[in-house]
Amino acid sequence: MKNITLGRYVPADSFFHRLDPRTKLVAMIAMLVAIFLPTGFYGYAIIGVVMVFCILAAHLTISTVVQSMKPMLVMLLFLLVINCLVVKTGYVWLNLWGLLIYSDAVIQTLYIVVRLLLMIMITTLLTATTKPMDMTLGLEDLLSPMQFFHLPTHDIAMMIALALRFIPTLIEESQRILKAQASRGVDLENGTFREKIMAVLSLIVPLFVSSFQRADDLADAMEARGYVVGAPRVRYKKLRLRAADYMTLALVAALLGGLIYLAVVLA
Amino acid sequence: MPISFEKVSYEYAPHTPFSYQALRGVDLQLAEGRITAIIGATGSGKTTLVQHLNALLIPSEGTVRVMEHEIAAGRRFKDAKKLRQKVGLVFQFPEYQLFEETLIKDVAFGPINFGMDADKAAAVAAQALSTVGIDKADFEKSPLELSGGQKRRVAIAGILAMQPKVLVLDEPTAGLDPQGAAAVMELFRRLNRSQGITVIIVSHDMEYVLDYCDQVVVMSHGQAVIQTDVKGFFESEQYMDQANIDPPAIVRFRQLCAAKGLKLPADALTIDALADQIAKRIGR
Repeated sequence: MKNITLGRYVPADSFFHRLDPRTKLVAMIAMLVAIFLPTGFYGYAIIGVVMVFCILAAHLTISTVVQSMKPMLVMLLFLLVINCLVVKTGYVWLNLWGLLIYSDAVIQTLYIVVRLLLMIMITTLLTATTKPMDMTLGLEDLLSPMQFFHLPTHDIAMMIALALRFIPTLIEESQRILKAQASRGVDLENGTFREKIMAVLSLIVPLFVSSFQRADDLADAMEARGYVVGAPRVRYKKLRLRAADYMTLALVAALLGGLIYLAVVLA
Repeated sequence: MPISFEKVSYEYAPHTPFSYQALRGVDLQLAEGRITAIIGATGSGKTTLVQHLNALLIPSEGTVRVMEHEIAAGRRFKDAKKLRQKVGLVFQFPEYQLFEETLIKDVAFGPINFGMDADKAAAVAAQALSTVGIDKADFEKSPLELSGGQKRRVAIAGILAMQPKVLVLDEPTAGLDPQGAAAVMELFRRLNRSQGITVIIVSHDMEYVLDYCDQVVVMSHGQAVIQTDVKGFFESEQYMDQANIDPPAIVRFRQLCAAKGLKLPADALTIDALADQIAKRIGR
């Protein structure tokens, strides 16, 4: 579990680390929309080149992105098999003992692979360069128009912030309990079904007990410091858009516009 | 057979931006049948070190030998379960790992995992609970009903019930009141003296190290920099400086006297011995 690379903040000092989280959120959404434009492999090539450049500029490595893809490998293989069995258009690519594999099956799978890879690149660029707390601040600001519809955006942002804050704590805690129970002879891999159920229980029960304890303590600590649900709050950290943010937004808008134009031309 | 570490290194999350080298070529011998204290600053690798003793961690480099078992880097260790029965490891704040409905069931959990039948496990669990001083009337209580100190002792009983030959404890006194802390340290000494169990304690409380331990290992930046006996350690100003510790009260007293010009012998490490020395100086 220590090896989770997807969605983790990687501390560094780069252009992207310094951008306003709101800029990055909006840019991410725009880029995700761009992926779903019907621009074919030309569009993907453009987005791909831009993203590789951005990832390198953010002091990340392409290998971290590829590593994040690993958990999806099984799913993609499964998809390839299904596509090969179902899709019967295009020309015959391969003849496996009477099973005809059509070109469209492979191309469609490849499409999805490329789309996933690009999506991971885009989201990684956001999560790896934005501290979770900044992200929630940005999210709160972007959601603030929803207050008009009586959506409690402050509270939602606080909940997200707290949840994000405790993910590493819970991972650490579960690893500690896992090790402690392993020391008492718990073996998650071998053993009968009953033993496995006991093994899982021995992990989950202490995790729940300590999570509730933590939640209680945290609620007390927040109240002791004067936190009132729904009360207006000022901010310690104010977000401000800088020249770099406007420039980034302009570039993203230009890219998105260009890709829309490409999609129209291709259609 | 003693426990030995040979050039053991350990790296967390290797090949990622989060990699961290916790141990750097540890060479270490831990004496059998003794009580050894492992001390050192936060982040010096103490916890990582002790997790190698029952193969929770496999070295990135080097070899750990525990009794007849050999845990070597890059090799699959097959006897983890056998080893874990012989080396009982009590984690920091072990009370958080209690999960059964009753104390006796929780303590019997370990023995049953190691293949003991339910009746016999209940018998050893009852014995372990008595050893740590839990009243028979409380055996059927839920762990949630106990105080912090009691929970700690129940968690320790959960390891003792496995009847290990080596008992490893990570900060067993952390968060306990002085009486509770002294009681668990007293328990470890009793287990060591009466049953010959090898005890290894990670601690930062020098009073307990001085009063209850035989050997000292000092960890610093992922290496075992000092290995000596307790007397030798607290007699040597140089060792204590190097380990960067808060000396126990008796040693501080000796240092203060020395600063005022009264040189007391360094081997007077109990209150009685110190009093005798002072009496001698003032001629009584």
